[in-house]
Amino acid sequence: MGRDPVCAALGLALAVAYYTAADALPRSLLADGVGADGVPKLLAAVLAVLSIALGARSLLVGASATAADDPGLRRHLRALGVAVLGAAFVGVAPVLGYPLALGLLVLAATLYYGAAPRPQVVIYAAGTAAILWLIFARGLGVALPAGLFG
Amino acid sequence: MAELALAWKALASSWAVPAAFLGVAWGIVGGALPGISPSIAMALLLPFTYGMDPVAAIVILAAVYVGAEYGGSIPAILIRTPGTNAAAATVIDGFEMHRQGRGGEALGISLVSGLVGGLFGLAVLVLATGPLARFALAFTPPAYFALGVLGLSVIAGLSGRSLLKGLIAGILGFMIATIGTDPVSGVARFTFGSADLLGGIRPIVVMVGLFAVTELMVQVIEPAWARAEAHAARLKLPDWATWKRIARPQAIGAAIGTFEGVTPGAGGTIAAFLSYNEARRWSKHPEEFGQGSVEGVAAPECANNVVTGAALVPLLGLGIPGSNSAAILLGGFLLHGLAPGPMLFEKSPEVVYGLYAGLLVANFAMLALGLVILTPCLWLVNRPKPYLMAFVLALVVSGIYALQASFFDVGLVLGAGVLGYALRFFGIPQLPLVLGVVLGFLVESNYRRALVLSSGDHSVFVQDPISLGLLVAAAAIAAFSLRRELGLARQERAASP
Repeated sequence: MGRDPVCAALGLALAVAYYTAADALPRSLLADGVGADGVPKLLAAVLAVLSIALGARSLLVGASATAADDPGLRRHLRALGVAVLGAAFVGVAPVLGYPLALGLLVLAATLYYGAAPRPQVVIYAAGTAAILWLIFARGLGVALPAGLFG
Repeated sequence: MAELALAWKALASSWAVPAAFLGVAWGIVGGALPGISPSIAMALLLPFTYGMDPVAAIVILAAVYVGAEYGGSIPAILIRTPGTNAAAATVIDGFEMHRQGRGGEALGISLVSGLVGGLFGLAVLVLATGPLARFALAFTPPAYFALGVLGLSVIAGLSGRSLLKGLIAGILGFMIATIGTDPVSGVARFTFGSADLLGGIRPIVVMVGLFAVTELMVQVIEPAWARAEAHAARLKLPDWATWKRIARPQAIGAAIGTFEGVTPGAGGTIAAFLSYNEARRWSKHPEEFGQGSVEGVAAPECANNVVTGAALVPLLGLGIPGSNSAAILLGGFLLHGLAPGPMLFEKSPEVVYGLYAGLLVANFAMLALGLVILTPCLWLVNRPKPYLMAFVLALVVSGIYALQASFFDVGLVLGAGVLGYALRFFGIPQLPLVLGVVLGFLVESNYRRALVLSSGDHSVFVQDPISLGLLVAAAAIAAFSLRRELGLARQERAASP
């Protein structure tokens, strides 16, 4: 199956979910004639129409992007791994502190992007974390979490 | 004269001049790195501008755009890998010149053509934006609503091969813009009890996620880029005979770059290829194109640098970003509480004229830095890709955290990156989504404000002459795009067996 029908189905599902959430919004005494839910409901309806049109077009014309040019599930998961590394940073930074968590992020990302596991990678990660900590904490005065060092 | 004084004052009283040099340097380095487009280079720098003086902040972002367009030609000429999309046309003759041992000459032509194009684009910006903004000063809430609709109709031109997908992206962006406190009643919408979402999702977070994080995700599955030979690159500025030969292709590049620059959605890439084609058509030596022609380097390089100035006309005049880079610059304005558009000339003229002066400095900074920055650029291009990508990821999470000292924002930027990756997978363009995020609030709040003022009478949108004119223009753009879409669909049907 091509990607367009999947895209259309996801768009339709999102439109339904968004409309339901808009319908559940509380009514305010300060509301105008349109209301807080007016524009969101219109957007949901337009998205539903566009999704149906995309699905219909892909069935009539044929899918423009098919599984043949798909780089494969493993590669998609590998790409998603970058976001997972970032999410892990978000999770551990308040506990470990910004410098240590950032050093670990740089170390993990350098290896994840294909660098050979060598001592230079550790030195690079520590150096990058130190430089960015100096720029943000000392240079820009951003309050960074100290974590274990706090 | 007053404008000149404002420009001078802005330059003298802020860090605009050092910002222009720094921005150009970062832009050249970023543009030279394959995978780091001008918009990504700008997005990476955006969080750093938060605490800066507004003039210096806007100048540094615009200077990155100027520098990146030249930087993109460095790997295009030396390793046959365009650092930016707009430098793709430069590969054809630039790399051929490099193969013939004339890489330094190609880089010199690229640099001076970029300067000529940048200065021409700046002149277009200065001459066209003021009148456009003065006209827009007469806008009322219905007209602002219609302006937002006109901006959204631009989506049609930004949709690539599928208008449907462009519209879906625009709606998704509009949906993101509705998250947060309702502009009229104050009801919390789609926040799911999260206090972090009450203020809405900042456009900058969406932009950095869509452009930078998505690219980081794509780069992890892409092969490493080629290495550049440092000894082959000694920059050589053109002599008088070469200047005479490249004047005509530069003029062609300037004309096409102006048209494509002010047209939302067209951008530097199309301008570069069209200019290359027209330069070959009008050349006395068309047979040299593809074989290392100096004209084949000058035309696209001039065109894509004209776009750096011309693309800011709709942004500064109307508040409508017509390209990724203009959208990031808009993010810079919003970050400093400035709204591009007609009121910017009234409320913060020092920012507008400071930007003009900063762009002038940036173009000459490009010439100065272009002569000395080549060696460090080559050194960087030859660094292993994993180290560079890890650094960029660290820069993204640190920069976004620094905006509000919020890990929630870092989570959002990663989410926007995943969304951008999904959009790429489904062939949905990203820029319409950014337009939806940026223009969503403008459209909804002015639509509802106009209806409150007219006691719910929708005819207010056609009674206001400016609103009517803008809505007609939006309808014309949409109709033209629909016609093109139907034509493409017919062609696809005819081509399919």
